[in-house]
Amino acid sequence: MDVHLELRRPFQGLHSKRMRMTSGFRWLLATLPLLCLMSQVNGQKRGAPRELKCVTASFQVWDCSWKGHGTLYEVCIEDRSHSCYHLEKANIKIPALPPGDHVITITSLHEFGSSRSKFILSERNVSLIPETPEILNLSADFSTSTLSIKWNDKGSAIPHHSNVIWEIKVLRKKSMELVKLATHSTTLSGRDTFHHWNWTSDMPLECVSHYVRLRSYIDDPHFSGHKEWSDWSPLKNISEIADSPTKVFPQDRVVLVGSDITFCCVSKEKVLSAQIGQTVCPLIHLDGENVAIKIQNISASANSGTNVVFTTEDNIFGTVIFAGYPPDVPQKLNCETHDLREIICSWNPGRPTSLVGPRNTSYTLLESFSGKYVRFKRVEASTNESYQLFFQMLPSQEVYNFTLIAHNPLGWAETTLSVNITERVYPHTPTSFKVKDVNSTAVTLSWRLPGNFAKISLLCQIRINKPNSVQELRNVTIKGVESSSYLVLVDKLNPYTIYTFWIRCSTETFWKWSKWSSEKQHLTTEAIPSKGPDTWREWSSDGRNLIIYWKPLPISEANGKILSYNVSCSSEEGTQSLSEIPDPQHRAEMQLDGHGYIISVVARNSVGSSPPSRIASMEIPHDDLQVEQAVGMGRRILLTWRLDPKMTCDYVIKWCNTSRSEPCLMDWKKVPSTSNATVIESDQFRPGVRYNFFLYGCKNQGYQLLRSIIGYVEELAPTVAPNFTVEETSADSILVKWDDIPVEELRGFLRGYLFYFEKGERDASKMRGLESGRSDIKVKNITDLSQKTLRIADLQGKTSYHLVLRAYTDGGMGPEKSMYVVTKENSVGLIIAILIPVAVAVAVGVVTSILCYRKREWIKETFYPDIPNPENCKALQFQKSVCEGSSALKTLEMNPCTPNNVEVLETRSTIPKIEDTEIISPVAERAAERSDADPENHVVVSYCPPIIEEEIPNPAAEEAGGPAQVIYIDVQSMYQPQAKPEEGPDLDPVPAAGYKPQMRLPVNCAVSATAVEDDLGKTAGYRPQADVNTWNLVSPDSPRSTDSTSELEPEPLVIEPKHPPCSAFQKRAAADTVRRIHARRIPQQLFSVPL
Amino acid sequence: MGAQAEVAAVEGGGRVAPRWIHPFQPFIETPLCLLALLLPPLRPAAPLSPAEPISQAYSLALYMQKNTSTLLQTYLQHQGSPFSDPGFSAPELQLSSLPPAAVSFKVWHALDDGERLSRAQEAFLALTQHLQLVGDDQSDLNPDSPILLAQLSAARLRAQGLLGNMAAIMAALGLPIPKEEDTLGLVPFGASAFERKCRGYVVTREYGHWTDRVVRDLALLKAKYPA
Repeated sequence: MDVHLELRRPFQGLHSKRMRMTSGFRWLLATLPLLCLMSQVNGQKRGAPRELKCVTASFQVWDCSWKGHGTLYEVCIEDRSHSCYHLEKANIKIPALPPGDHVITITSLHEFGSSRSKFILSERNVSLIPETPEILNLSADFSTSTLSIKWNDKGSAIPHHSNVIWEIKVLRKKSMELVKLATHSTTLSGRDTFHHWNWTSDMPLECVSHYVRLRSYIDDPHFSGHKEWSDWSPLKNISEIADSPTKVFPQDRVVLVGSDITFCCVSKEKVLSAQIGQTVCPLIHLDGENVAIKIQNISASANSGTNVVFTTEDNIFGTVIFAGYPPDVPQKLNCETHDLREIICSWNPGRPTSLVGPRNTSYTLLESFSGKYVRFKRVEASTNESYQLFFQMLPSQEVYNFTLIAHNPLGWAETTLSVNITERVYPHTPTSFKVKDVNSTAVTLSWRLPGNFAKISLLCQIRINKPNSVQELRNVTIKGVESSSYLVLVDKLNPYTIYTFWIRCSTETFWKWSKWSSEKQHLTTEAIPSKGPDTWREWSSDGRNLIIYWKPLPISEANGKILSYNVSCSSEEGTQSLSEIPDPQHRAEMQLDGHGYIISVVARNSVGSSPPSRIASMEIPHDDLQVEQAVGMGRRILLTWRLDPKMTCDYVIKWCNTSRSEPCLMDWKKVPSTSNATVIESDQFRPGVRYNFFLYGCKNQGYQLLRSIIGYVEELAPTVAPNFTVEETSADSILVKWDDIPVEELRGFLRGYLFYFEKGERDASKMRGLESGRSDIKVKNITDLSQKTLRIADLQGKTSYHLVLRAYTDGGMGPEKSMYVVTKENSVGLIIAILIPVAVAVAVGVVTSILCYRKREWIKETFYPDIPNPENCKALQFQKSVCEGSSALKTLEMNPCTPNNVEVLETRSTIPKIEDTEIISPVAERAAERSDADPENHVVVSYCPPIIEEEIPNPAAEEAGGPAQVIYIDVQSMYQPQAKPEEGPDLDPVPAAGYKPQMRLPVNCAVSATAVEDDLGKTAGYRPQADVNTWNLVSPDSPRSTDSTSELEPEPLVIEPKHPPCSAFQKRAAADTVRRIHARRIPQQLFSVPL
Repeated sequence: MGAQAEVAAVEGGGRVAPRWIHPFQPFIETPLCLLALLLPPLRPAAPLSPAEPISQAYSLALYMQKNTSTLLQTYLQHQGSPFSDPGFSAPELQLSSLPPAAVSFKVWHALDDGERLSRAQEAFLALTQHLQLVGDDQSDLNPDSPILLAQLSAARLRAQGLLGNMAAIMAALGLPIPKEEDTLGLVPFGASAFERKCRGYVVTREYGHWTDRVVRDLALLKAKYPA
């Protein structure tokens, strides 16, 4: 403000002081000289008006005031009209001055004179301070915690259209905590206008007082002066609810999941704790005992909502909050109609809202063309299944524009669908489905399909099933009718066939098929058989009767149930008919006296007779035919032949099982005369069975046999092995002979025999397979089927051979038949084996004898020197009397010690106890011992024919020959007999055998026993019985000796040879050996084949 | 409700004796089935002996007693925490419209049969109405919980059955039958969800307490009027 104060007194300084300095450097610079001036004035004169200050609230009037001590003031404004005002107060309201500087002179009059101040005033020096606003109304919506204020902008006072900024302050609690400072802009319109401002509190308003005030600021661009905020309006407040039945706020609020919310509790008692769900929350204290809690990011509630509970000393208060989601956009909205009367719209609600009951989503289906709508309110709580609404169709409206609006307390969502309803027809399932006969090949189908289809065409599909056939679908288009009854003809059916029909419908503008109707079975009516039966004839074996066969007509040709057949036979003389033959019979026999008849067979059903099928009775003689072979595959067999132009009608193949007797006919097949091959197939064919096939050609006058074939549909391996025997054996060869296998057991064409042979005993080789490619098995493949014998040469003598024979077909190998044969021994080798030991023994004997003879003097000197006779001793003669007087003086009185008794302590009762006091030679003794052991069974065989051992055990043989085959050998014949049984204990002393001392020991028991043993040691083939370890040894060349020992388990046998004491002759000798022998009888498999 | 039963009492004839099941006209369809199952109809010709209705009422009360804790537990489980917290109990919650079952033993013992029966009658009358109210509340709060709704409904039907039995006893004893009153009055409709939950809790709890009490009442009567 530039004010120039001008005093009338000279040099009375002007005084001006800057009252308010808000901003503006320029303004500051302009003020500086003035300040100097004013302070000068001030120093000189105190009573002059100073500090002129002008403000305006409405631009039109400036309210100026100044400081001064005058009682009267004269204010003069120097503008176009120089006007002065006389005032008693230091305040003047002047109309707003036009732009530019104006000099204002204020003269102050007081008791000691007057002083005058001059001020320069322009708009720039005027402050714009709006009038203090007033809140006309403060209201609260407690349910939404919303405060709402209303005030008047008093715009009529201000001529300009200027912007006003309102600043609104919301304070809370008695301590006036600022909770909201908001600005609100409006525009002054020149009229008084009421303004509203709403604010939603996070804190429920019920629990705590809220205060509101506001001020304004006019932002007028045209005003160049200083603009300031108005003063704050007086406070208005909304008090908390002091006495309410409910104590906790908000109640039953529905909020969005994740939002923040504050709960508060009005209480007169101290609240101890608060919790939401199971979570305890910190308390926010409000005025008095009221408290609040703040929940952030609330999670979705259960059906019954989330409980918020405040607990005081003796009570609980609470509320329930429902946190959920706004409805999802309805998904998969689909509208269709079943009958063009009612539209069914279905949809999926999408994401669950977590809100149920009254808070659940409601749906409105609105059709925008007609403006009609239907509402969906779920009555029953259901899962997230699809929802449905029914909308009644409007006549003559085809296109519908649907909007489905989902709404719940948290929001809404919508989806739209525009459909041409005639293209969205999903008809009901056809009902009352019926079938009616028209004729044997056509029926009519009728059904009901409710719906208003008169304007459109229906497309229906008929599903036709007949037994053993693929199902057929036929589409028909039918004009829609009002009556809902439809009828359609279905033709091209087969007579006398059970059909199953279904029907379903759609519209021509296809949308969906209806469900299939229930099925309907229908049997079409009969028609006459379309063909005569397939016929064949056979002459009986005596050639007098003709047997006519025919096959039942297939159902497709019978066209009904065949009741009977008529067979007639015609010749040049006339026609002869048999009586009607009822259906299940397919064979007739006629006695015909000669050939040249034509037989005709007619099948008849309830509608009529089939065309006759004719066959000539004549059998045209044929040339000698070679029997051919054929093998089929699977259940079929392929036959081919050369076309014969003479065969005019057809070819017939008949077949039969070869094992059946004549006339044999299993079946036949007719082939047109143009074909030269056919595949014969029959369920009756079995693999491995031989069939005869006969190919007949047909000429006008009859049939001629063209070929005769034996065949198998499949060859199998023979079921039996050829029966074979050994005809002859020698030392190096075997002759084998076998028999044929019967056809039934051959099961295929015989292709040959396989003969295996190998060296081997029965038990050893049996374990090993023949096919394992072992090198020691020799195989002979006999493909010459006429060969029935086989000689196997180059064998070793006296060796057991394993022979196996098996037959084979293309179907495989038959079972094997095996046999064990031992070849005869080689006689030369035998002789050598005998002669060499004998020669050696003789040579040793001769040499020993010669030596003994030559050295006899030396031997005598060494072993038997002359001993002088003491009786001839002269020196002792004087003592003769003394010698004779006492026998005790005799020396070397030899008492021969002779065992005279052997007692067997343990033996079998059946075997006689043997006492033998004779001294026998070891060999003889052994033989004797054995013969004693088993006297009744003993067989001595010096020579044995080849033994053929059969695999099959022969109990009878065993019984008879078991113990009997014990063979005793002499030292001279060291060979075992060839017919050696398998039985091990052949060298067993046989349990029954009593013991016989091997030798009668000399009187001097010790010496003679030693001597004898020495002798025995030198004797080949013999071991003293006293030696248990060698007891069981047989002659060294016994091929089985070692095997047998292992099987030997001697039976307990205690032998006590008694030696009398040397010093005394006693009847019973003391035992010198005790021996226990266990012997077991081994089942014997011995079978000798006589040659 | 008492009108017909009173007639039965006044006339004293077996002819009308079975009509005690009818007083609940609003619930006539469903309770009939239940009561027919629970109680074999009285033989019309039988004289009005109190022993039989006492015995039947006692059996029903025992049967109810078995299910009261299940009802309370089911109810609480459906209300969310803290109601569903284990061991929840809020004895401070009471309903002014429902007479509390708690009574000092001395007072209870001093009551005569008529007073005892009429208090039980009054309580169960209030309970049937409250159970209906709770059922309605829960079909808003827990519409997806058929088990809870079925149990509430069953409890209400049993309470009605017991009321009928007690009316028969009172008729047999020649006691006046209290008139049916609308104990609920104008109370419930503006209640908040929390209030409804609490109300349901008090009702199901008091239903159990009253059932326990009526079992004792009837046991006493049974001893007094042996069959």
